[in-house]
Amino acid sequence: MKRKILLLATLSAVICLNSVFAQDAVTILKKMDDVMFSPRDMTAKMKIIMTDKNGKQVIREATILQKGTDKRIFRFTSPASQVGIAILSLPDDIMYLYLPAYGKERRIASSAKNQNFAGTDFSYDDMESKSYSEKYTPKLLRTETNVFTVEITPKVQSDYSKIITNINKTDYYPESMEFYDKGNNKIKMAQYTFRKIGNYWNTTEVEMTNLKTGRKTKMQMSDVKYDTGLTDDDFTVRKLKQ
Amino acid sequence: MKRTNILVILFLVASVTVKAQDNNVVEQSSEKKQLKISGELITDERFLLKDKHDWAWNENRLTLKLDKKITDRSRFYSEVWLRNIGLPNLTSSSDLYNKGIVDPFNLEIREANIQLYGFLTKNLDLKIGRQIIVWGTADKINPTDNLNPLDLEDVLDFGRRRGSDAINANYYFKNNFSLQVVYIPFFRPANLPIGLFANVLNPPMTLPSGMTLKKFSDTLKMPKNNLKESSTAGLRFKGSVKGVDFSLSYMWGYDGLPANTRNIFIPVDLLGGVNINSQLSFMRTHIIGVDFVTSIAGIGFWGEAAAFIPDKKLIMINDLSALYPLSPVPVTKDTTIIDKPYIKFIVGGDYNFKDGSYLNFQYLHGFFHEKGKNNLNDYFFMCYEKKFFNDKLKIAPLGGAFIVTDWSKIKNNYAIAYIPQVSYFATDDIELTLSAAIFDGKGDNLFINLKDYDMFMFKLKYIF
Repeated sequence: MKRKILLLATLSAVICLNSVFAQDAVTILKKMDDVMFSPRDMTAKMKIIMTDKNGKQVIREATILQKGTDKRIFRFTSPASQVGIAILSLPDDIMYLYLPAYGKERRIASSAKNQNFAGTDFSYDDMESKSYSEKYTPKLLRTETNVFTVEITPKVQSDYSKIITNINKTDYYPESMEFYDKGNNKIKMAQYTFRKIGNYWNTTEVEMTNLKTGRKTKMQMSDVKYDTGLTDDDFTVRKLKQ
Repeated sequence: MKRTNILVILFLVASVTVKAQDNNVVEQSSEKKQLKISGELITDERFLLKDKHDWAWNENRLTLKLDKKITDRSRFYSEVWLRNIGLPNLTSSSDLYNKGIVDPFNLEIREANIQLYGFLTKNLDLKIGRQIIVWGTADKINPTDNLNPLDLEDVLDFGRRRGSDAINANYYFKNNFSLQVVYIPFFRPANLPIGLFANVLNPPMTLPSGMTLKKFSDTLKMPKNNLKESSTAGLRFKGSVKGVDFSLSYMWGYDGLPANTRNIFIPVDLLGGVNINSQLSFMRTHIIGVDFVTSIAGIGFWGEAAAFIPDKKLIMINDLSALYPLSPVPVTKDTTIIDKPYIKFIVGGDYNFKDGSYLNFQYLHGFFHEKGKNNLNDYFFMCYEKKFFNDKLKIAPLGGAFIVTDWSKIKNNYAIAYIPQVSYFATDDIELTLSAAIFDGKGDNLFINLKDYDMFMFKLKYIF
């Protein structure tokens, strides 16, 4: 009988302890979301550098406009073969692709999210600006000198079984992320560089390494402007075509 | 004259507005206002797979695109094709003096227009000038898209259209709804296939027994160049509800492919030899269209339907009077081609697989050149492609169409067009494409008419 009581007590303690950790993990992830998604809107230039395992580089450039966490227009400005190609992402997985050669917008099947984003090592999932708290359940794995190591598992359908992220203890931005596939194999790693611009922390550079192919994709942001007053009208098919 | 005045007035209004907007906007950087020149160079060569591998196509096209942001709310855009196209067809030494025959070339202004965003009211966009207006949600083949004339020069480039001189206004309501009004003052017919493809759209001609065709000629009757006869107008209401994008459209215009309205038979000998003169004219048609596109469970779905309502019945008269000179009344035999409205439609879907491959499928009832309920055939189009080496190589092993012209006798009334393709990006901006087109089947349809033209195709595209 005593043994049963002891077992129950231990179980309760473990559950309580877990919930404390879970609570902490939830708070930490929420704080990371606050750092990453707090601006009302953003405009920026983006340079995408793809380097294969032999060191050969391909460079693409684009402009990006974003409002909140679910409206975005991404427009290529280089190379010539991609200039003008634009993607409008709206809530509820609605995406439009504008190809200047066809002169009209095209609604994209949401299965396009299965593909890599614009031929990079980022998936559409990675590029989505939805907050992590919405998409993932966090678990605090450990606390180190400078970072919290948090494991996040998807709440909804995802290419990943989990992501392990190191979150800066002082400013709560992610320093790195490791992505695991459904077979629990580490497939990609991302390194983040953040810089404070005005009131907001800005991702000046993300480097994604594809561990399967050895290819690296670096995304560098410049000319970042926050809260410029973009409205919903800036994220319409009309604007996509202009 | 009136039409010219209206256009001049509209152009002046547009110019004044551009100027007014110029004064209103904040000074912009010179970089933004610079004229941007871009374009592409395409080399497209094709040869037949049979016999001595005759050349089937030779095209070297330089596309120049000029784009200038005039102000934040106005833009100039133009696209010009400069081409060497076709193979020299010299028949006498005098042809050697003509560079255009020795080395055929042409220049085409595909688009040249001014765009005004927020014209008069912030919700109105206006585009004036030569432009290509694309309607419909299907992939390349759009039964609701009939404003611009078909460009059938290259019969394998389905859905290509020429620019029209037009006034195109789009008014945007709140919540993703918009209304488009288009006016095209001048009628321009479709241009027909050239070179080896020249006769693929011509229907077969069956003569009464005992008659032999000696000479054929035709007379094309164009609509008169006035506001009433040559105008085309269109209206399209577009919206999005619960994840489904849709549009309703109406067009009052012409079928750009002429219809045969009268054949005059003239006997030339006593052995049954006849000359035939066909009179061709363009049918004024009302076209009511509807289309939608959505995504369900990751699969993209779309559909389009267009009801073609001719202004009047299309009757083909065979005038045999000359064969019966003693008859007190004209001797004619009438065949009704179109006596009631008919509907063309297309449905399709696509899916992107996790391994980077892509599948696209479409079912079409009634191709662009088919008229009348009983003359519409069924087409199944499919394309499967996969990309490799970071999208540098694209292989489309399954591409083409299956056509049925008579389901009750399908064994003798079908066609297959198989068009596999491999594309390779040598650099970011240089694409090399190798493909083949193989046609087979039985009966009478567009693709059967291409049966003797199985071909190998090479295309180089440099984009700058």
